[in-house]
This record gives sequence, structure tokens and C-alpha cells, in this order.
Amino acid sequence: MKHAYADIQSVGSFDRKERPVDPISKPSGPGEESGPKRPETDSPSRDNLMKRMRKVDPKQAEKYRQRTGE
Amino acid sequence: MNPVRLFGIETEYGIAREDSETADPVVESMELVRAYLDGHFTRRWDYRGEHPHEDQRGFRVTELAQDKEEDLFAEQDAHRPFSFHEMKSDLVLPNGARFYNDHTHPEYSTPECRTLKDIVAHDRAGERILWVAAQRRNEVLGGRVVQLYKNNTDFHGHSYGCHDNYLVSRTIDFDKLVRGLLPFLVSRQLIAGAGKVGREAQERGFTPGGFQISQRADFMETELSVDTMHNRPILNTRDEPHATREQYRRLHLILGDANMCEYATAMKIGTTRVVLDMIAEGFVPSFELASPVEAIQVFSQDPDLKAVVKRQQGGTISSLEIQREYIDQARRVLTTIDKETEWVLQEWEQVLHYLENDPLLLIGKIDWVTKRWLLETFVQDEGIGWDDPWLASLDLEYHNVDPERGLFCGLEAEGRTTNVSREDEIQQAMKHGPLDTRGGLRGLCVQRFGEDISSIQWEGVHFNGKNGKLHLDLLGHLEPVSVAHCRSLLERAKSPVDMIESMAAK
Repeated sequence: MKHAYADIQSVGSFDRKERPVDPISKPSGPGEESGPKRPETDSPSRDNLMKRMRKVDPKQAEKYRQRTGE
Repeated sequence: MNPVRLFGIETEYGIAREDSETADPVVESMELVRAYLDGHFTRRWDYRGEHPHEDQRGFRVTELAQDKEEDLFAEQDAHRPFSFHEMKSDLVLPNGARFYNDHTHPEYSTPECRTLKDIVAHDRAGERILWVAAQRRNEVLGGRVVQLYKNNTDFHGHSYGCHDNYLVSRTIDFDKLVRGLLPFLVSRQLIAGAGKVGREAQERGFTPGGFQISQRADFMETELSVDTMHNRPILNTRDEPHATREQYRRLHLILGDANMCEYATAMKIGTTRVVLDMIAEGFVPSFELASPVEAIQVFSQDPDLKAVVKRQQGGTISSLEIQREYIDQARRVLTTIDKETEWVLQEWEQVLHYLENDPLLLIGKIDWVTKRWLLETFVQDEGIGWDDPWLASLDLEYHNVDPERGLFCGLEAEGRTTNVSREDEIQQAMKHGPLDTRGGLRGLCVQRFGEDISSIQWEGVHFNGKNGKLHLDLLGHLEPVSVAHCRSLLERAKSPVDMIESMAAK
């Protein structure tokens, strides 16, 4: 019997903004302008993240139990 | 010089049923894997290629530290109405990956990859495939109740792994491999640590407070061991090459954290591969650490990177200094530096520079820096202490693969992460294996002749033929040229018989 796998198209594209680096293109060195920027402390995205964090159940880790794996 | 470059990542995910405190983890993991199937499960994985008792140091152990616990679990699991192999529910996917239930954790093992671009895309593809399975399982359960975590701890003293694997020439003496790797591995967490609040000890609970660099450091108990679940080693000595034993070893590293940042995954694999190339060229570090196990924990508990540990030759050394020693030597030792290696070396230097001077520039690139920044911001905003249990919950949620809940997913959606893969590359990796490795060949066998497969594993595929079993041996397909030749035959063949006959004719 052939395994029929889930239709992975159904998951669609994830919401992510593309900012790829390419391991085989010329990288930028320390101090160059194309490098990463420090996060803005009062940006709208920070507010969104804090909202997401406040929704987390404070007792979630206390309830989370797993068996030992490898 | 090691002629073949191949690596892969195995990730055990944490799984939770939020609607039930009594859910059976064995059943939940099994059902999650099976949710990825439209048809019913048929066992095809061939366990004969697995030899967890063989040791690289040239002997075979009679038992592993976990054997007694495994026996106990087997006894507990015996009442269930399905067999051990049904419980494992091993699948080989059309992209050449293995997806199964390992020790009650859904585990995704990427197909073998040859490039950093591919390994990152396949690691991310694994997250997506598990999320697809969780969505399908949740449809059956009637709510978003199954949640998956790509992390390494339950904050109660239970750890599960993310193992990185590398094909290594057996001409390299194992003792030299150990000497060359140990200081690097102990300090690799600077790049690849996923960050963790609090401290743990193996099955002895959790102490809240503080932040450390690595999720796994608390669970490292010895330098070398064949064990993986107890007495965990910095360098696992399991001798299970999944390649021609006389020619190759598989370096099976179990000390690593599961990374959410694509950049961290690329650098974890990239820097380790560079160090292996250095060792193949004869590199030996100028020092040894007095106590590598103590060092990995001291470094982990020092996110300000000020700690030093003793060297066997006298004096002390910091984690940054260890990493610098490797980079400084790399350009002297390596006789060839290809584009990917050049990228790794330059990024490696840059990461250490930022860690020393301005770590916040690594947000979205290095997990522990990213998580520490998120938690510090939260602590300040909410006015809570570092021993508040809320922080362990936030730590856990950083690793949730649910795009609407996971904290890393939230950062990614806001464009705050540096990606190595494009979205279309991840989507492609969900469906197809790498074109240039035997992982892609394995996946192609599943795509083209899945219903004819009688058994399958890393080293080969058996097909049912009219006159008996047919065997496609993948042991010999490690080089790109060999893979390309086999791929062209597989793509043209009308049946497994046709393919095997074509290969024999060549």
C-alpha cells in the first residue's frame, strides 16, 4: 500500500518577511553598513511582540511535562 | 582531507495536549506522525541498520544506561493495543526525511545535505511538516489543542535532543577527532545556544532564576560516552556510520540545542564542518581544557561572556578566546577555502566581534541573544523578577512552531530575523530531497515507486519484485557524480526492476 502524504500545499506560505543572507555570496564584514541594525526599542513590532508575550499562560511551563529523550 | 561533505539534523520535538493533563504521550506522538498520512500506516523502516551499542573506541557495550528505563517503559507500554513498530510509526517522506515517534517525541530527521542552504531549508521544512501534522491532528480533536515545541527541555529535568551528524573519513584517528573537537564543542554554544531560563539537572527538577546560553549544557555529564539518554556526553561515541564502515565514521553530536534562527543553524553546521576539515588537515588545538564538562556549564551560565576555565597546560581561557583560536588557525590550516567556507569564516569572525562589542546586533540571528533580549524587555515592562515562573513559559513559547503563538514566529513575521532560506526553498524542501545527495535519491524512490518498497533506511531501499526482492544500495552514492547518475536512471526508469537492471548494465 502506497503511503499517501498530507497535501502540503494546504499549509500555504508562512507569514514571514524575507531578509535572506546567502552562504555562497560575498558576506559583509564587521562595521559595514549592510550589517544588522540594533532593534528599535519603541517600534510597532515590539508592541506586537509584547502583546503576544502577555498572552502566554504564566503556568504553561509548570504544566508542560515530557519523557526524557535522546 | 575528507573528500565527502554530508550532514544532517535530527530533531525531537516536545508535544503537549492542552485540553488534557492525562493524555498518553506515546499515543499522542504516534497519532501526530500518522496524521501526516492520508492512507493507513504500513511499516517499512528497516531497523537492521541501527547499532547503538557499537562504540567508536573499538568495542561494543553490552547495555546502555537507558536500557533499564526503556525496558520499564516497554513494560508500561505493553498494555497498548499496538506493537512497538506500530507505535514508532516510522515514515520516510518524499523528500527523503525520516519522520517517526522516538521515545514519545515526534522526531524529524532531515535527508542528508551537502550545503548549508539545503540543511537550513530542510530543517525549516521539518518544522512545517510537523505543523501540518499538528493541524490535521487538531482537526480530528476539534480544536487547536496539540502544540509542538522545537526545544530541548520540559523545565522539570527531562531533556530531548537535536543531534547534528557529519560524515567523517575513518582515516582520521578517533583520539585526534576528540582532541580537535572538544574545546570547540564546549564553546560552540556562543553561536548555537538556544538560551534557557533557570537551571536543571537530569530528572532532578528545575531551579528558576537567571538566564543561560544553552538548553542542553545542564544535561552534559561526561566527555565521551555511547549513551544518549543518561550520562550524556559532549561527544557521543556511537559507531553507526550509515556508510561503508571501513571508510567512514558518522560523527553524532548530541550536545546541541534545537535552533529557531536559520542563521544559527547554518553557523552551527558550518563552523563544525570547518573544524572537521581542519582536523582532517592535521590541526590539533594548542591546549586542552582541564574539565570540559565543567567548562560547558560554566560558559552556559555566563551570558555576559566574562567567565574563564582552566586549561590543562596551565592558565585560563574564555569561550570567546577558544572560538578565536579556531578561526585564527582555520585560514592557516585549510589548504582550500571554497565560497561556502569563506562565508562561514567571515560570518564567524563577525559573530564573535558582535558578541564582544554589541550583542544586540545578533537579534534574529543567534537564538540565545534573541531570547535574552525578549525576556529582558518583558521583565522590565512587567516589573517581574528573573525567578518568576512566567519566564519559563515564555522561554517554552519561543520554540512553539504554531505561527500564531510562537514567539520566534512572531519575530519572523515582523521581519526581525535573518533568514538563510527563501520561502520557496522551504516549500521545495517539504516536497523534494537535495538534488545532490542520496537523501534526494531516497525521496525519489518514495515518490516514484513508493508502493513497491518493502523496506527502507538510510543505507538502501528494498523493492518487491516479481522474482523476489530488489535492492538499491545507497552506500556507494555519496559523491555528487554518483548521485547524479543514479538520479538520472531513477527518473527514467519505468519500474524498480527497470532501474536495477539499468544500474547493473552500467
